[in-house]
Amino acid sequence: MSGQGAIREYLLAFADDEHLMGQQHTEWIGVAPFLEEDLAFSSIGQDELGHAALLYELVLELDGIEPTDTAVDRLAYGRPSREYRCCRLVEYTTRDWAEALARHWVYDTFEAARWRLVADSSLTRLAAVAGKALQEEAFHRRHADALLDKLLASPEARTRMLGALEAILPMVPGLCGAVAGEAEAVRRGVASAPTPDLLGPLEKAIAERFLVEVSGSGSRSGSHSTADGQFLRTVRSTDFEPLMKRMREVLDYDPEAVW
Amino acid sequence: MHVYEVFVKKDGRDEFRHAGALEAATDELALVLAREGYVRRAEGDRLWVVRRDHVVAADDDFVAPNADKPHRHHDGAAVAARRKAARQSRQ
Repeated sequence: MSGQGAIREYLLAFADDEHLMGQQHTEWIGVAPFLEEDLAFSSIGQDELGHAALLYELVLELDGIEPTDTAVDRLAYGRPSREYRCCRLVEYTTRDWAEALARHWVYDTFEAARWRLVADSSLTRLAAVAGKALQEEAFHRRHADALLDKLLASPEARTRMLGALEAILPMVPGLCGAVAGEAEAVRRGVASAPTPDLLGPLEKAIAERFLVEVSGSGSRSGSHSTADGQFLRTVRSTDFEPLMKRMREVLDYDPEAVW
Repeated sequence: MHVYEVFVKKDGRDEFRHAGALEAATDELALVLAREGYVRRAEGDRLWVVRRDHVVAADDDFVAPNADKPHRHHDGAAVAARRKAARQSRQ
């Protein structure tokens, strides 16, 4: 893969994760457990959508396309599913609020670490976005931690949160999965280390936050990294198409509309 | 859950203004939720949350008696008018 192609894949994986995660968070508007949380969670989702839009702009610039709103929309919503590079965790349809909250904490912990890898990126525009994103991520984590501090201290809520975490954990190695070409992107200084390097520290953080054993998925991930589509971010789960359909619902009324 | 009163201060202004109220389980959650509910559109640069049951509030009839004491209500307008008239008459 060419250097530019590798960088593009790297940015696309990052952008697609942010896009889908933002969408999933905002879907709690109106149905979160209480009004204030409803506002806060969907507002955090909007931050993620903002990151996605900035990352998609960088992809378009690599493609030599002017990053107009319409061009960003087309890239964000208009690709065939095989061209997306999101991970399983952000595609996953959570079954309840506990799973959404467990994912929120895990994803945002990962995301902050991911932004730190590109804080001194050779792609100066990416480094600039990282500065802004890291400020927001500190708050996202604080939001998730404030909820978990309260919930994990209560026996019933703790049981439910641990059940939710169990559903989330198998998708964590895929979250840290690298696209093909990532090694080349790292060689070119786009990121200071490969994404799979984040898996060990992330599992350790999860174990400390939830006071559970997070065993072995880190050591297994090595064998996945070359063969399994989930870890290369090339395979879409069955949750992807319904999610994309919801995301495109308004856009599909008039794809050329100017907002 | 506790009810928290939310106060926001704008940059360059002296006073915190009451912005609203919210329910939260802990002080930290109240701050986190107030941030999204009340200052996400740059409404201010500083934020307080105060638990409503920590506010020292007077009973309703504690304040009411002062309504029948008109001598405490003058706003100085009459005095100001007399001073102005006196100034002009000297000129």
